[in-house]
Amino acid sequence: MTPAKFEPGDRVRVRADGQPGHVRTPGYVRGKTGRIERFLGAFKNPESLAYGGSGLPEKPLYKVGFRQTDLWDGYAGRTQDALYIDLYEHWLEPA
Amino acid sequence: MSSDAHHDIDHKHEGVKPSAEAGRHAARIRAIEALLVEKGVLAEEDVRRQIEYMEANSPANGARLVARAWVDPGFKALLLSDTKAAALELGIDASGPVEFVTVENTPGVHNLIVCTLCSCYPRAILGRPPDWYKSMEYRSRAVNEPRAVMREFGLEIGDDVEVAVHDSSADVRYLVLPMRPAGTEGMSEEELAGLVTRDCLIGVSVPSFEGARTDAPGTANPAPRR
Amino acid sequence: MTGVHDLGGSPGAGPIDKSQHDTEDWERLADAVTVALDKRGIKTTDEHRRAIESLDPKRYRKLGYYERWIAATELLLVEKGILTRKEIDQKAAELEERWG
Repeated sequence: MTPAKFEPGDRVRVRADGQPGHVRTPGYVRGKTGRIERFLGAFKNPESLAYGGSGLPEKPLYKVGFRQTDLWDGYAGRTQDALYIDLYEHWLEPA
Repeated sequence: MSSDAHHDIDHKHEGVKPSAEAGRHAARIRAIEALLVEKGVLAEEDVRRQIEYMEANSPANGARLVARAWVDPGFKALLLSDTKAAALELGIDASGPVEFVTVENTPGVHNLIVCTLCSCYPRAILGRPPDWYKSMEYRSRAVNEPRAVMREFGLEIGDDVEVAVHDSSADVRYLVLPMRPAGTEGMSEEELAGLVTRDCLIGVSVPSFEGARTDAPGTANPAPRR
Repeated sequence: MTGVHDLGGSPGAGPIDKSQHDTEDWERLADAVTVALDKRGIKTTDEHRRAIESLDPKRYRKLGYYERWIAATELLLVEKGILTRKEIDQKAAELEERWG
């Protein structure tokens, strides 16, 4: 695995493009900007494993935090409410 | 909503419990198992062992982890930094490629766990998830309406507390470490474990104890459990 | 549009049904066979998820949780050439005749 590109605190934007096939990046975070919460380690790529591929090379996985008010129009909670989701590095761009 | 082009969920409560096609699917899996054993792809032993393993895991495992963390600060630190190792210390075998992370409730933060894409759950520790966790409604609303969802479970989180939702979208499974209720000083570890329900480990409930202060920060007085 | 399974934030989602059904034996079997195949290296969790996601959207929403697992397991075993649909049909009919 190449060294992890991001560090906790880095602002990142999730790719907005629609990649076909099995991916683990839900629509509701695509194109959204959040912050790296922590590095979770490297894992085999599910996008490859899903079709019988080896999943190698392993991909860095991060816990990424978002403000709920950045994700949803009319979010009916507190402005400090957060959502965390585990995303692969190749879905993230520096913001 | 930021997500466009989603189908409305127009049929209530479908998609979890056995449907009208249950009988047909039951027949298929029995046929599949029989064929796999006949062809030597699986051994009957594999299947039997797996059934036993799943039955052995239950929320009681999670309750024991929480109770030990409440009484032992060193164990709590381990639970938060390496949940698998903490589980192993209590004789819970959570080995495998899946990772586990425990997130801690504090007076300032309340955590809620969901898997929107497929209802992943820490099965190796807690056993099978409840039907509601797998429902389309929970998978949809836990991320964008967490407070309303928790309210349906009788849990009101105060304005001064942040709600943090965790979507288990990859190979990490999450457990919530709830706060220890006030008034439980002097309870044994076993008694403490008895306060921790499965719903507390997912985050739609908090442990309650009769005699707990209702104004304790970050906690709420949940509706009585059925 | 990423797929019917991508449910986070779906509009129109209603109240949560908190009732619990008793797990049936065939559901336990579905669970066990899926995991046993994984442990034997025959199929991965990721293939299993992909197979579930490939189900027709109407069926995805109607089928019970373990019914989706069974549909996915069958799909993958056929895809990998381990079983054929015809074999499964025949065995299902045979078991039905024997056990009712």
